[in-house]
Amino acid sequence: MSKKNYLCIMRSQPQEPEKSEAPSPAQMEEMFAKFNAWKDKFNDNIVDMGGKLGEGKVVTTEGETDGPFVETKEVVGGYMIVSAENMDEAVEVARQSPGVYPGSSVEVREISTP
Amino acid sequence: MTAPERIEHFFRHEYGKLVATLLRRVGVQHLEIVEDSVQSALMAGVESWAINGLPDNPSAWLYKVASNKLMDELRQRAGHDRLLLQHANESIDVLEIPPEYFSSKELQDDMLRMLFVCCNGVAPIDSQLVFALKSLCGFSIQEIAQRLFISEANAYKRFSRSRTYLKEYPLDSWELNHGEYSSRLSSVNKVIYLIFTEGYLSVNHEMSIREELCEEAIRLATLLANHKSGEMPETFALLALMHLHMARMTARQDSSGGLILLEQQDRSLWDKQKIQTGLEWLEKSSYGDNLSRYHAEAGIAAEHCLAVSFHETRWDKVAENYLLLEQVIPSAIHRLNRAVAVAEWRGPAAGLDVLQGFEPPSWLTGSYQWSAVLADLHQRCGHTRIAKGYRDDALNSAPTPAIKQLLLRRLTVDGID
Repeated sequence: MSKKNYLCIMRSQPQEPEKSEAPSPAQMEEMFAKFNAWKDKFNDNIVDMGGKLGEGKVVTTEGETDGPFVETKEVVGGYMIVSAENMDEAVEVARQSPGVYPGSSVEVREISTP
Repeated sequence: MTAPERIEHFFRHEYGKLVATLLRRVGVQHLEIVEDSVQSALMAGVESWAINGLPDNPSAWLYKVASNKLMDELRQRAGHDRLLLQHANESIDVLEIPPEYFSSKELQDDMLRMLFVCCNGVAPIDSQLVFALKSLCGFSIQEIAQRLFISEANAYKRFSRSRTYLKEYPLDSWELNHGEYSSRLSSVNKVIYLIFTEGYLSVNHEMSIREELCEEAIRLATLLANHKSGEMPETFALLALMHLHMARMTARQDSSGGLILLEQQDRSLWDKQKIQTGLEWLEKSSYGDNLSRYHAEAGIAAEHCLAVSFHETRWDKVAENYLLLEQVIPSAIHRLNRAVAVAEWRGPAAGLDVLQGFEPPSWLTGSYQWSAVLADLHQRCGHTRIAKGYRDDALNSAPTPAIKQLLLRRLTVDGID
């Protein structure tokens, strides 16, 4: 069975600036090391590391509005594409990602190919 | 393998370099925004490099991002005020530096200058210590508080006190002249030694955290020793001392964190490479007419490192160095240490003779060191009753359970009771 691609959509709750303490350089080093370890481990699964998403617009037939939607509790912050044998494996890749922390979530969706 | 994965403490050390480089260019009065810019540049680095991999020159990359943020902030603060804007633009011009800079000697110059500006000898030394740990070593206030066993509020207070002192310096204080460098050198060494002893003497921490502080001290002293403004016998002796102490650090503790006396230490655990490096620095330090406390202390440490066993230590040389140390820094504790060395050299009665007629200060007589040494020497002289009194005093004044355990072992083995 061939592998399928999955789109991972990273969401997080908007944080109040004063609540989130900036990490120290030593903590950043740790974050970076964890990320690299994760990348090494799932090197075969990661198709596209994707990236962080900035501000945007929402386009409809009516025109366009500023996005992302401010009412939502969670903001889409980034995406990536992984390949896996099945959904379970794709979920495992996402679950172990250092990008998943309390207050954030990843939605994993199979990219259907005809 | 990429650079930051291989180089330990890359982010912390880059923090120090960037703060030093940027502050040198825009002036100490902008310390807060410099620190913020560096902080967010590092964060941008983590985010971007995790996804895109490392750039060719991570230091130059970080500098560019940090200086752009700093420029934006300076311009924004200047607003529409033309005079302020002009100042801001002048500051911004000096931020342009070529990429080769990051592998050049100039960067070291900036770090060195920062070190001399931090350790000015004017602000209280506790504040200088905290400032150096934050700005040069890249520890956060929270991490400093944990390492020094003080509250975060206290650490922050010390940091801001140092910052206030610095802001009173005009911009051109960065361009220290030769005389200023040499007059500040002993303050710089003092702060470095304090960083070291915070790590070396702490009994409460896990070894990795303690070693980290010791390594930071050695890193700063090495930077200093390799620079024209710091290459002095005093600095070399300090480096010798730190290496010779660190070589024996892990052998000083058993697996449960209890302290092990020199006599019982497994000498094969001592780090021979560090001893070698320490001895090389010690050799380099032996010129000039100035004998610093570091020379005497390194001399003592070297005797221990070179001895094949406790009993074969050249105790005469150790005693001689304690005498020198007493002359450089008169302190009753050095006299007490000399008594211990003399006791090993010429017997316990000779040791007691060193303390004959000596009027120790009350902080010493109330300490466990004083009571423990006297208990030991009197016991070995056969004065059992006096020894027992001192032993009780020693056990009662032990500051930590680890030290109490050590005293119990040491003073009981010798047969008191």
